[in-house]
Amino acid sequence: VSFNLDILVGSDPKIVCAFWVGVAVSAMTLITLAVIIIRRQVNVHRDRVHAKAIAFWKAIIVATPAANIETIPRLLNRDMSGFLEVWNDVHEALRGATTTHLVRIAHQLRLQKRLYKRLALGGFHARLMAIIALGHVKNKESFDRIEKFIDDKNPMISLCAARGLMQIDAGRAISKFVPHIVSRSDWSQGSVATILDEAGAEKVTRELCEATLQAEVDIAPRLIRFLASVSPESAAPIIRKTLLASLDEQLISTCLQVMTTSKDLDCVRPLLTHTRWHVRMQAAVTLGRLGIPGDEDRLVTMLSDAQWWVRYRAAQALMKLGFVKTSGMHRILESQTDVFARDIIKHVMAEEAMGKGAVTEEAMIKRVVTHRTVEAAA
Amino acid sequence: MTYVTAMIDFLQGVPWIYLILSLQWLFLGYFICINLAYLALNFIAAFCITDYMRDHRADYLPKGLASYQPPVSILVPAYNEEGSIVSSIHSLLGMGYPEFEIVVINDGSIDNTLDEVVAAFGMVEFPEAYRRRIDTQPVRKIYASSRYPRVRLIDKDNGGKADSLNAGINCARYPLFCTVDADCILQPDSLLRVVRPFLEDPTTVAVGGVVRVLNGCTVHDGVMEKVDLPRNYLAKFQLVEYLRAFLFGRLGWSPLNALLIISGAFGVFKKERVIAIGGYRSKTVGEDMDLVVRLHQNLRKEKRPYRITFVPDPICWTEVPTDVKSLKTQRMRWQRGLIESLAPNVGALFDRRGGAVSWLALPFMFAFELLGPVIEVLGYVTMIPLWLLGLISYQSFLVFLFLSLGLGVLLSTNALFLEELSFQMYPRLGQQIRLFGIAILENFGYRQMTSLWRFMAVVHWVFSFWQKSHWGEIVRDGSWRRQTGAAKAQSHAPTVL
Repeated sequence: VSFNLDILVGSDPKIVCAFWVGVAVSAMTLITLAVIIIRRQVNVHRDRVHAKAIAFWKAIIVATPAANIETIPRLLNRDMSGFLEVWNDVHEALRGATTTHLVRIAHQLRLQKRLYKRLALGGFHARLMAIIALGHVKNKESFDRIEKFIDDKNPMISLCAARGLMQIDAGRAISKFVPHIVSRSDWSQGSVATILDEAGAEKVTRELCEATLQAEVDIAPRLIRFLASVSPESAAPIIRKTLLASLDEQLISTCLQVMTTSKDLDCVRPLLTHTRWHVRMQAAVTLGRLGIPGDEDRLVTMLSDAQWWVRYRAAQALMKLGFVKTSGMHRILESQTDVFARDIIKHVMAEEAMGKGAVTEEAMIKRVVTHRTVEAAA
Repeated sequence: MTYVTAMIDFLQGVPWIYLILSLQWLFLGYFICINLAYLALNFIAAFCITDYMRDHRADYLPKGLASYQPPVSILVPAYNEEGSIVSSIHSLLGMGYPEFEIVVINDGSIDNTLDEVVAAFGMVEFPEAYRRRIDTQPVRKIYASSRYPRVRLIDKDNGGKADSLNAGINCARYPLFCTVDADCILQPDSLLRVVRPFLEDPTTVAVGGVVRVLNGCTVHDGVMEKVDLPRNYLAKFQLVEYLRAFLFGRLGWSPLNALLIISGAFGVFKKERVIAIGGYRSKTVGEDMDLVVRLHQNLRKEKRPYRITFVPDPICWTEVPTDVKSLKTQRMRWQRGLIESLAPNVGALFDRRGGAVSWLALPFMFAFELLGPVIEVLGYVTMIPLWLLGLISYQSFLVFLFLSLGLGVLLSTNALFLEELSFQMYPRLGQQIRLFGIAILENFGYRQMTSLWRFMAVVHWVFSFWQKSHWGEIVRDGSWRRQTGAAKAQSHAPTVL
C-alpha cells in the first residue's frame, strides 16, 4: 500500500482537511519544541549573568569596609538585578541592625534614580525589587513615588509598598497602612504583623487602637491580634471591653488567645461555661496561662466536658499552672470518677513526661537535613 | 482470494455495516471534543503558571511571624512499608515548618513496618484519649516517640488507605492535615508552599500540589540530592504523563474552582470540613478523588464560599512502577477509583447550582476520563478491521492516525512547555531532547496499552461493582535511595504496597 499526496487533490474534503490539521499540529509541536529550547538557552545565559552579578556584588557589599566605599566599582545595567537581590537580602539578614553602610553604598552607586526608573518602566519583578530597595534606602523623597503602589491589585506589590512606606516614614504611613489592613483580606497576616513589629509600638498603637474599636466583628479579631502582638498593654483595655460586651464568639476566642494580663481574669471565668466549645476551650487555655490559686478547681470541672478539646486543654492548663505540681495532678486523677476525665489526665501527663528531653534530638536531625538541603541547593 | 472478496462484498451489503461506518464519525467528533478540551485546559494552565511564577519567583514579602502559620498534622498511612517508612519519616522531620506533627498509621502491616518505626524512633505505648470521630477499624495501640515529640504511631487493624487516613484524622491535633504516602519524598519547603493558599484565602478548604516522578533522582537520607530522568522506559513515559496530568490536567481546573482530584500522595485539607462530610470513604480505591468531589458537593449544598486550589510547585516526589504488571494494577485501580468516585455523583451533573463543577468538571470527567478509554479502544477495535476489510480507505485511516498521534505529541510537548515556563527541573538540553523523544514515543504503544487497561477496569467494574475494591500489589525498586549507615541495609528489599 503506497501513501502518496494524491489524497490532497482527489479525496474527500474531510480527509484533506484532517490532513492539513495534522500538518498544522505537527508544525505547532515543532515550534513549541523550538521555543522550549530557545527559552532554555536564553534562561541559562540570563541565570549565569545573574549568578555572576550576585557573586561579584555579594563579595563587594560584604567585604568593603565603610571607609573605602568610594572605591567600589560602577554598577552596570546588566548587574542591576543581581545587585538588588544581594542588597535587599543583606538588609533582610541585618533586620534590626544598622544598615548605614548599605545605604552609603546605594548613594555611591546613585541607586535611587535608577530605582525610580525601574519603578516607572520595569516589569513585575524589577518593580517589586525597586519598591523593596527604596524602602531600605529610607529616603523621604521616595515616599510619594511608592505611595500609589499601596493600592495595587496585586497583594505582593501593595504589601511591599506598604512596608516600604512604613520603613521610610512610619508616622506618616500608618494612617494609610491601617485602613488597608482592614480592607485587604488578601494580605498575608504574618507579613502585616512583621511590618507592624518592625515599625515599633509607639508608631502604630494609636491608629491600630482606633481601627480596632471601630472595626466590624469580622475584621476585629485580626486587628486585636495585631495590636496585642505590638502592644499588649494597649490591647488589654480593648480586650476587656470586648470580653464584657461582645457576643461574637470568634472575637471572644481571639481576645482570650491574646490576653496577657491576669487582672482581667474575672471576665474569663464566666466564659468557662459558654455554650460554644471553642470559647470554653480558649477560656481554659487562658486560665492555664494566667490563672491564680483557686482556678484549678474551675479547670477540674472542665475535665468532664463533653468536648474532647475542652477536656484536653483543661488538663494541659492544669499542668501549666505552676502551683499544681505533678503530685497535684496525681491527686486530681485519683479524685476523678469520670472515665473521660481520667483518660485525658493520663494522656496529658504522659505527654508531659515524654516531651522532656526529646526536643534536642529532633532539633539535631532538623539541622542536619537543613544543612544537607543547603549543600544540595549549592 | 475470491472468498475474501465475496465476504467483503457481503459485509459491505449488510445494513449494519453502515451503522459501524457511521461510528467513525462519532469517534471523530469525540476525538475533536477531547482534544479541544485538553487544549483549553492547557491554555488556562499556561496563564496560571505564568501568574504563579511571577508572584512566587522570589520571596518578596517580609517573612511572616511563625505564629501566623497554621500548625499541620501530617498523616502517613503505611501498609507493608518496612523498606521506606523510616527514611520517609526522617525526611518529614526535616521540614522547614514552624509547627507540625507526624502521625504514622500502620494499617495492619504483615511485614516489619511497626517494628521498624518503633525501633527507629523509640516509640513507646501512649495512653492516648482516642476520639473516634470517624468510624474506623479497631485501633490496637497508639505510640508516641520518646525521642521525637512530633512523631506518633497508630497501630490498627487492616482497613485500607482510606480507613487509615480516617484513624489519622481522629488522632490529628491540628486544624489542617496533610496526607503523604509513605514512599514519597517531600521538599523541605513543601508544607510552607502548600499551606500558602490557606493564608492567602481563608475560604480555602483543600490544596493539592504537583507530584513528580522520583525514579532516576538521587535521594540521600530523605533529602533530594539530584533530579534526573529515569532510565527505565516505562518510568520515562510516566514522567511525561505526570507532567501532563499535573501541569495542565489539574492546574487548568484550579482557577475555575472545579478541581476534582487532589492526589492522595500529597494534599492538605481543613480537618473539620473533612470530618463534617464523614471523612474518607473506605469502600472505594479512589478515596482521594471521592473526598474532593464530596467536599465540592457538600460546600455547594451548604452555600459556603470555598476554594479548592492547586499549587504548581514541585513538592512531592513519588516512585512510579517500572514493570508492566505493577503499572497495569495501578492504572486499573485508578480507573476503578475514578468510576467509584463519579458513579455516586451522576445526579450532580448539570445541577442548576453546581457551578463549574457540575457543568464543566464532572461532565469532562464522565465523558473524557471515564468513557475516554472505552471510546478509544472501541475506535481501534472497529477502525482497524474496517480498514483491513477495505470498508474505509487506507488514506482516511492513515490521515486520522497521523492527526491523532500528532495531537497526542502536541499535548505532551505543551506539558514540557509548561514545565519550561515554571520550574525547569530538567534543565539540560540533552534532557529536553530526550523528553521530547519520549513525548513522541509514548504515543506508539504506551498510550494504547494504558487505555486498554483502563477499558478493562471499566468492564471489570460493570461486572463486579457490588464487590469491594482492592489495592493490589505494586513493586517498587527503590533505586533512587542513597542512604548511609543502618538505613542502607533496609533499602535493598523491594517494597510491596
